[in-house]
Amino acid sequence: MKKQTTTCKEVMSHICDSLGEDLNSTKCTNIKQHLDSCPTCQKYFESVESTVHFYKKYDVKLDNEGHERLLSILGLNDLDE
Amino acid sequence: MKDTSNKITDEQLIAEAVEGSNKALAELVKRYEQTVYNFAFKVCRNKDRAENAMQETFMSMVKSLKQFSGKSKLSTWLYTIVSNHCLMLARSQKKYDYTSLENEDGLINDKNILDWKFSPEKLADNEELKNILDEAISKLPHDYRVVFILRDVEGLSTQETSEIAKLTVPAVKSRLHRARAFLRNELNKTLHV
Repeated sequence: MKKQTTTCKEVMSHICDSLGEDLNSTKCTNIKQHLDSCPTCQKYFESVESTVHFYKKYDVKLDNEGHERLLSILGLNDLDE
Repeated sequence: MKDTSNKITDEQLIAEAVEGSNKALAELVKRYEQTVYNFAFKVCRNKDRAENAMQETFMSMVKSLKQFSGKSKLSTWLYTIVSNHCLMLARSQKKYDYTSLENEDGLINDKNILDWKFSPEKLADNEELKNILDEAISKLPHDYRVVFILRDVEGLSTQETSEIAKLTVPAVKSRLHRARAFLRNELNKTLHV
């Protein structure tokens, strides 16, 4: 699971730091190599990604009553088409 | 936030609204109400408070539209206003008990990596899962929550997030890092197989 210079904890920290960003910098080479060969870190990576996706997918819709209340408060309800 | 009309730009609508056109104002409200409401809900985790924050935000917009310089996008300005209203609402509540994220070392635990029983695709109509998500993010301090939502959920840049949250870029990065690790750990406690 561990390589000589890069620990799982470092990789996990890096995942939280740079999720969604460019991992092609020289600085990231060791991290990428470790990630490619470590199932534990891959699982961690996936769980952080899933965390973000859970919150992305959790949307709420403003219903029509809420829309009407807003326009009424702003004095714009007569203009709604 | 996406511009839903190809015909009239935000800038044109703002100019018309400043000149007194209520029709232009109504169009601006219509264009951004869903995004503002959704963002407010994601910060407040409560529909009534989200609607309250949305109403306050548009009242502020109407009041201050003349002062809008146009240096930033209207959406950035609205995110700033709604973030402030959400913060004021949070402060006005009697009780809020946030988790301290100062101890970064404890946020990463390489001994507790488990499979999760739910994927994000299972979220629709799963109230239990929604409650778990609400509870986890409610423990985040307000500034961490706003940074996480702006950056990861709404997809804004680090620079835009720093302007809206009134934080330096390094402070945004640090809060995002800790918020991701914290939320991941919280979900891991309840979502593991």
